[in-house]
Amino acid sequence: MTDIKEKLSALYDGELESSQIDDLLEECRNNDELIRSFSLYGLISLSLNQESKISQISQSRRRPKRRGFADIWLSNAVTAAASIILTLFAVNNVDFSRMSINIDSTNQIASAVNSQEAKQTAENSSEYLVDHVMNVINDPSFMNSKSKVDLQNVGYRINQSSNPEYSNGVQKFKLRIENRDFGLNQIRYWKHGNKMIYVVPISNGRAVTLYGNISLPTAIQIANSINK
Amino acid sequence: MKNISNNNDSELVEKAKKGNEMAFNFLMNKYYARVYASLLSFTKSHQDSEDLTQQTFLKVWQQLKTFRGDSAFFTWVYRIAINLAKNYVSSSGYKKQKLNISVEDSEIEINSFKDIELELMHDQSLKNIKFFIDSMPESLRTAFTMREQEGLSYDEISKITETPIGTVRSRIFRARESILEYINTELITND
Repeated sequence: MTDIKEKLSALYDGELESSQIDDLLEECRNNDELIRSFSLYGLISLSLNQESKISQISQSRRRPKRRGFADIWLSNAVTAAASIILTLFAVNNVDFSRMSINIDSTNQIASAVNSQEAKQTAENSSEYLVDHVMNVINDPSFMNSKSKVDLQNVGYRINQSSNPEYSNGVQKFKLRIENRDFGLNQIRYWKHGNKMIYVVPISNGRAVTLYGNISLPTAIQIANSINK
Repeated sequence: MKNISNNNDSELVEKAKKGNEMAFNFLMNKYYARVYASLLSFTKSHQDSEDLTQQTFLKVWQQLKTFRGDSAFFTWVYRIAINLAKNYVSSSGYKKQKLNISVEDSEIEINSFKDIELELMHDQSLKNIKFFIDSMPESLRTAFTMREQEGLSYDEISKITETPIGTVRSRIFRARESILEYINTELITND
């Protein structure tokens, strides 16, 4: 049994000889304990490498089940993806009428917004933005951008480590600049744990992403500084 | 030179493509927690993350034949999970998806977290495991953390520690066994 378990461990690490895989699978076919061990290897690995996510899992267990998505990402109105969807599908004459906006203009706008091209564009933007924010949340190295920006004029210095972070002694954040603006024309932001994620469109069709414990006015100030 | 692949995933995938459910079972067990944790970052809901993770692996099973191996298997799985999470953003889309795909009716058994897995997700359990790993014999701890935290291959660990590769494999296995024993005897029964 020990030999089988050792092979199982090697299989988990991707280090088992190819010729031994079939035999191991056969050995495990009716052995729930072995499969359970394999599953726990994954959890042990996760616990070592993704502590923050585990913490979130712990917290989630204390919450009532099936809470709304609004709990998760606190955007300035709704999530970016949801707001794009709203732009596409919820904008209609009635909405505009309620906001006392000229109906003729809104007809043209609604027509443009509902065009296939507009939908495609917005769907792509939504996809990229959701992917982008997911990467910020899930990939610890994603925000370790090599492009460094001088922000001393707004009071932030960057540490010279492999894990670059801007700080003024109190507030800390990471920064990343994309050569696309995700179709945004205004800042979007989300709350993630005790940090905020800001995606701000800047000049030349780019967007800057800021991730840390900074406020909205600070994020705008930093983005403006980069724009200059 | 032994014929050791860099990653057994591709071999398991090929076997699963041919209908080997046990091979798929291993792949699912290997990545279930990672997918779950990633989705939880997105949903912050245990129940929804569990649902989405199950949906993810059901889709993986259904679409496995389309996986060409251009990317790592987990990357492909992760992409499927992300796409499902996007549907989750639009709650109506998510509900439709749920209606269209029934885990219960699928032809393969899909994982779900059991009590033991959930117990391990406690902060205190996590700290206890880490404390236990710190207390393991140095030779086991070194090999295990080099593998798990640094992502080094057995060969690399062997060269760094100047230890035969078979010993490295054995130490990593013994470290895992020790942790599992600790979990079973200390965390599960005493909690």
